[in-house]
Amino acid sequence: MSDTDTADDLAIREPPTVLVPVEVLEGESISESLAAFLAPARVVVLGYHVLPEQTPTEQASMQFEDRAREAVADLAAVFEGAGGGVETRVAFTHDREQTVERVASEVGATAVLLPNPVGAVSDVLVPFRGAIDRDRLADLVATLLAEGDGTVTLWGIEREGFDAAGTVEHARESLRERGLDAARIASETSAAESPIHDIAVRSADFDVIVMGEGEESLWAALLGDDPERVAENAVAPVLVVREREDGA
Amino acid sequence: MGTADESGGTNANRAGESPAQVGRPETVTDETTVTEEGTELERSIGLAGGVSIGVGTMIGAGIFVFPGLAAGRAGPAAAGSFAIGAVIALLVALPASELATAMPKSGGGYYFVSRALGALPGAVVGISIWLGLVFATAFYLVGFGNYAAEMLQQAGIGTTVAGVGVVTPLALVFGVLLTLLNLVGTENAAKLQNYVVGLLLSILVAFLGYGGLDALGVFGAQTTPEAFAPFGVAPVFTTAALVFTSYLGFAQVATVAGDIKNPGRNLPLAMVGSVLVVGVLYVATIFVATSAMGSAALRDAGETAIVNVADQFLGTAGVVAILLAGLLATVSSANASILSTSRAVFAVSKDALVPAFASRVNLEYGTPHVALAMAGGPVLVLVALGETEVLAEVASFLHLVMYGLMCVALVAMRRNEPEWYDPDFRVPAYRVVAGLGALASFGLIAFMQPASQLIGVAVMLAAAGWYKYYASDVTLKGVL
Repeated sequence: MSDTDTADDLAIREPPTVLVPVEVLEGESISESLAAFLAPARVVVLGYHVLPEQTPTEQASMQFEDRAREAVADLAAVFEGAGGGVETRVAFTHDREQTVERVASEVGATAVLLPNPVGAVSDVLVPFRGAIDRDRLADLVATLLAEGDGTVTLWGIEREGFDAAGTVEHARESLRERGLDAARIASETSAAESPIHDIAVRSADFDVIVMGEGEESLWAALLGDDPERVAENAVAPVLVVREREDGA
Repeated sequence: MGTADESGGTNANRAGESPAQVGRPETVTDETTVTEEGTELERSIGLAGGVSIGVGTMIGAGIFVFPGLAAGRAGPAAAGSFAIGAVIALLVALPASELATAMPKSGGGYYFVSRALGALPGAVVGISIWLGLVFATAFYLVGFGNYAAEMLQQAGIGTTVAGVGVVTPLALVFGVLLTLLNLVGTENAAKLQNYVVGLLLSILVAFLGYGGLDALGVFGAQTTPEAFAPFGVAPVFTTAALVFTSYLGFAQVATVAGDIKNPGRNLPLAMVGSVLVVGVLYVATIFVATSAMGSAALRDAGETAIVNVADQFLGTAGVVAILLAGLLATVSSANASILSTSRAVFAVSKDALVPAFASRVNLEYGTPHVALAMAGGPVLVLVALGETEVLAEVASFLHLVMYGLMCVALVAMRRNEPEWYDPDFRVPAYRVVAGLGALASFGLIAFMQPASQLIGVAVMLAAAGWYKYYASDVTLKGVL
């Protein structure tokens, strides 16, 4: 499990895998700077195309497969140019969520990227609203920040029944255990009237947001889950840390 | 492997196009099909979605169009006609299920027949099922027009404008609307369809439950005593041939086989399940309707007879509920059929039996606009003609030919199983089931009106002629 290149107790526990879903035929893309930021992790690019129900996936693939594969190859070149290895998948689907979830599970993704345009990437914001897989989070952030001098801000958002300060403290410890310099970790807790909105607003001061999947609720079913709503409103890309699957 | 060329021909049509291949059977998983280049095609329709396609396509006709026509022909024994239809549908649904789990590809019956029996029978089935679906869609739209007109009458608006009936214009307008709706793509059309079907089933079960208890005398109402089969036994069978249109939907599940999740389990369950659900509802409907009004009154009420039945039981509230259900049902059937037509066109076009142009996908909307137009266009012409009974029978005729050939295809496959043939579901006693299925399917054709038989045969001959002219060098037998 553990990589032994680094000092024994300052090691990454599980090298992180980031899934990067891109709607290639809609002209979505990933900037070089973001590719460079993600390069230390194992990156899987999933080029997908969403079809209306009345179009069989076979039918669309006959016409668009080559274009989709080319677009994905171009994306892969961006990651390779940024110095990272990359795996690619191409999918035609009627249901984006189902496809992303399936591929994330198949490749054992630590996190899934929700893309947003971004310039140079160095500073990371990690808002906590509830339970999150602390080891996965720490592995991911420590790996991505290992090179360079970017900072991470751990932000506990208080709410009833959630130990914001404690969660932030634990996360801080986990990052330290993985060799991230204390000077590069800021922690804070505060209350927020409307957390999603507040996270989106603060994203202007950071380059990437890393957060958990959020809880399932009727609210989430209607409006999209927390990370999706953040990504819609934020100006920074969002990395969603996935819950570990049972038996994985 | 993919270029089997037994006939020594060029395996290309007049335009030089060859059958396209998308994913070999061994690359089919529960969640995806993987193409040769490694692209994953997601399967996104679950069991509920599959059943709703089947039930949604079928229910429109059986309950909301046929009770009057059927009772007029066979009396209360029309319930038996519907039961015969259900049994035949099941005899075909089982072989279709096995073939679909072995070849979970878009195209359904056409695909099985062309792979098991060769390109000529395939082309005849593929092209005539396209037209068969067109006939069925037109039939559903005319049914819709009748319900919409009835609704207008209830609202006190009347059913003629300047001396012209509104049924056909309403059907035409809705046909255009549905085609456009599918062209510009509504992302959640399938989910909407699920809710429509759910709502429909609820209304029907409530209605039939109440009506059934009433017919058994629970509420002390007078029932109309009547001979069970006033016109003898033969009309029961001829009526079965007519009402078989109301079972055509289960095969539509197979046309989306390429998009069904866990096809080995969901395809057989969806096909057999939807036949059972609608079969029970149909028989119950006829029972309730004939008990309530007597078949002569039903016949006189015509295509919207079930509305009069609702009136009998529940007054205006019942009428409004049933009219609403009727509108939903006929629209859902018409819509599902337009979609199936488009998939049928894609299937033959992919195999180069018609120009590849027909399966083009519109870049802006991502929808198969040519195939949809080839569905919607001829439908409007047929609606304008307005011959409901003939429309229904020709649709049945063409479907029955496909069903019969599917049964033959199963026997052909099983007798000499190719290496790739590995269905998850195997029909028990397949010779008996498929044999009876084929016999019954071809047998029902014999009971149809001569006009329908003539049109059906003409369509098939035209399809065969087209194949000989356009694609006689295309080989499909055993090619996956």
